[in-house]
Amino acid sequence: MAASILTAAPDGSPAPADATGLPVYPGRVIGLEGSTGSGLTRIGLSMLSAIPASCRVVVDVRGWLCPLAAWEVGIDPDHLTVVRCGDASQWSRVLAVLLDGVKAIYAEVPRGVGEALLRRLVAKARARNATVILRPLAGRVPSGMAFLRLRSVRVEWEGGREGHGSLGRRTLMVELSGKGAAGRYQVVEMEDDGARPVRVVSRLVTSQVGRSVG
Amino acid sequence: MGSRDGRPLVAAANDRAMEAGVEAGMTRRSAEALCPSALVLARDPAAETIRFEPILNAIEDLIPRVEVVEPGWVFVPTDGAARYYGGERALVDRVAATLERLAPGAHLGVANGPFAAYWAARSGRPTLIVKDEKAFLSGLDISALETEELVATFRWLGVTTLGELAALPRHAVASRFGTRGLEAHRLAGGEDRRVLPRRIPDDLTVETIFEEPLLLIEQAGFMARRLAGILMALLDRHRVAPYQVEVEAEAADGVVRSRVWRSAEPFDTRALAERVWWQLRAWTETGGITDGLVRLKLSPTALSDEGYQPGLFEQREIRIETERALERTRTILGPDSVLRTRPQGGRDPADRVQWARWGEDFAEPTRSLASPWPGKVPAPSPSLVPPRPRRLEVEWDAEVPTRVRLSTRWEPVLAWAGPWRRLGKWWAEEEPSALYQIVTSAGAMLCRTTGGRTFVVGVYD
Repeated sequence: MAASILTAAPDGSPAPADATGLPVYPGRVIGLEGSTGSGLTRIGLSMLSAIPASCRVVVDVRGWLCPLAAWEVGIDPDHLTVVRCGDASQWSRVLAVLLDGVKAIYAEVPRGVGEALLRRLVAKARARNATVILRPLAGRVPSGMAFLRLRSVRVEWEGGREGHGSLGRRTLMVELSGKGAAGRYQVVEMEDDGARPVRVVSRLVTSQVGRSVG
Repeated sequence: MGSRDGRPLVAAANDRAMEAGVEAGMTRRSAEALCPSALVLARDPAAETIRFEPILNAIEDLIPRVEVVEPGWVFVPTDGAARYYGGERALVDRVAATLERLAPGAHLGVANGPFAAYWAARSGRPTLIVKDEKAFLSGLDISALETEELVATFRWLGVTTLGELAALPRHAVASRFGTRGLEAHRLAGGEDRRVLPRRIPDDLTVETIFEEPLLLIEQAGFMARRLAGILMALLDRHRVAPYQVEVEAEAADGVVRSRVWRSAEPFDTRALAERVWWQLRAWTETGGITDGLVRLKLSPTALSDEGYQPGLFEQREIRIETERALERTRTILGPDSVLRTRPQGGRDPADRVQWARWGEDFAEPTRSLASPWPGKVPAPSPSLVPPRPRRLEVEWDAEVPTRVRLSTRWEPVLAWAGPWRRLGKWWAEEEPSALYQIVTSAGAMLCRTTGGRTFVVGVYD
């Protein structure tokens, strides 16, 4: 599907809270788990766009973030601030400072950040009523920390054929767990058409039934 | 009694309390310690507006279009009125004489901008006409900025007057203090905040006509909130924020009243609804509107496209907290690590983003967004773009990618698109290249081939 920044760029109005179809609440922490290329950055940015806040901050550990993707999912360029923090030793300090004044944060988590430190930051996010989306670059978000945990299962692209056309739409299979998924494992199908926030299009019955710890 | 940062502060005191040492701005505890028998009343802006209404009417009889900041504080455009009355001094004398009857002890200040006029009025002299604004401001104490934290830091740095602040290089102030510092520097140098009156399209005015006249003030208050919400949503869509809004109300007997309200910072919905409510209450209770309200109109009369529209449930304090947090982040990581972005023209994803340090202005754009940019990689854009292209091993079969090497394993190419060819800047000895979108089981990448080698320039994460 063709889309341009101009058509996809926000008109100033934040995306509705249910734009992604996922629960994004103030004071909650969301964990994204999966390898690079599995679509989680775009899902994270879509969730960030759904948070009603005037300033949204992306903590970019690798220095790779492309703001075009953020604008395409509906984040207003005027309301986006990118904080590049490649130094893992400073990361927790930076996040703690940001939590003092920012209500919507998408943060890549560098290797080497201890569980105890993460728990303290998550407690601060809850206390400050800030929504934090954590994307560990290695490993997982420790259990019991995230209100909602998303794990990428599969990505299917449409549009690219033997040299014709261009990549347009993709379907992502994502596993949800944690309290935000009603305490059960769910597998959802999400659609990314490149011009709107990534959103849930169907919830599938999962073979793995039972309670999960988020 | 008003409050600031949640602390109860004295807003006003009567003569007996003042004689006991109570002053405006003092904390409630201190005031009660000085004058234990004082009766403490909560501040009621609506009641203040009602009391202030006759004074406004008197000023409006002399100069039309009074701009109200809050009850007790107005700005009046003097250009036309000064010509009409034969000069600024004559005008000031006339206004002073009028006020003497209604509000003895009122202070007047005349200057080019609202900031200097405000401090001229607070100079302690009954009337002060500022001729040389820069010189007047340079002598003021740094606390005139009225932002506690900023003032404390300036003092700590040895900057004690606005003149000393204005003498500092602007880029240094911007780099250290961000937007708030920049604004303070502008004010100190006599460049008042930019209120840009401009032609406002008719459709930015909102109006409601009531078939049945509204007789109850509560009904009018409800309509004021609703109309303020509609106006702010409309302005938000045009990405502008109002500094000044004209409230116009028509009574059932045909009397039309209007008043302009002004704010140092752009109005948000709640602040605007409050002003409209105060004004309607003042008109109703002072007899300005009788027989019910039949029409209410809100017209933004000064807009800024740099205005800020807070979210629905946000308070202005949140903005200050946010700026403080980002300033501290910048202090930790350095100015190059806290960045803002805006779109610009270009073919490759990395080219289409203009970066600026947070708190500093963007450079003049060199790539026009309006240009067609043929060969641009279509959306969706890669979410990740490495700062330097990363080498990728690709197996080709007659210009068709078949396998790519990801760390130690070879992955088959599931789909691909392209190439988008680039001639390169041949005059700068740049080699031609081609861009491909390659999909593997590990996701999709945007790759550039040049000189027989392939690089990853974007990841669709």
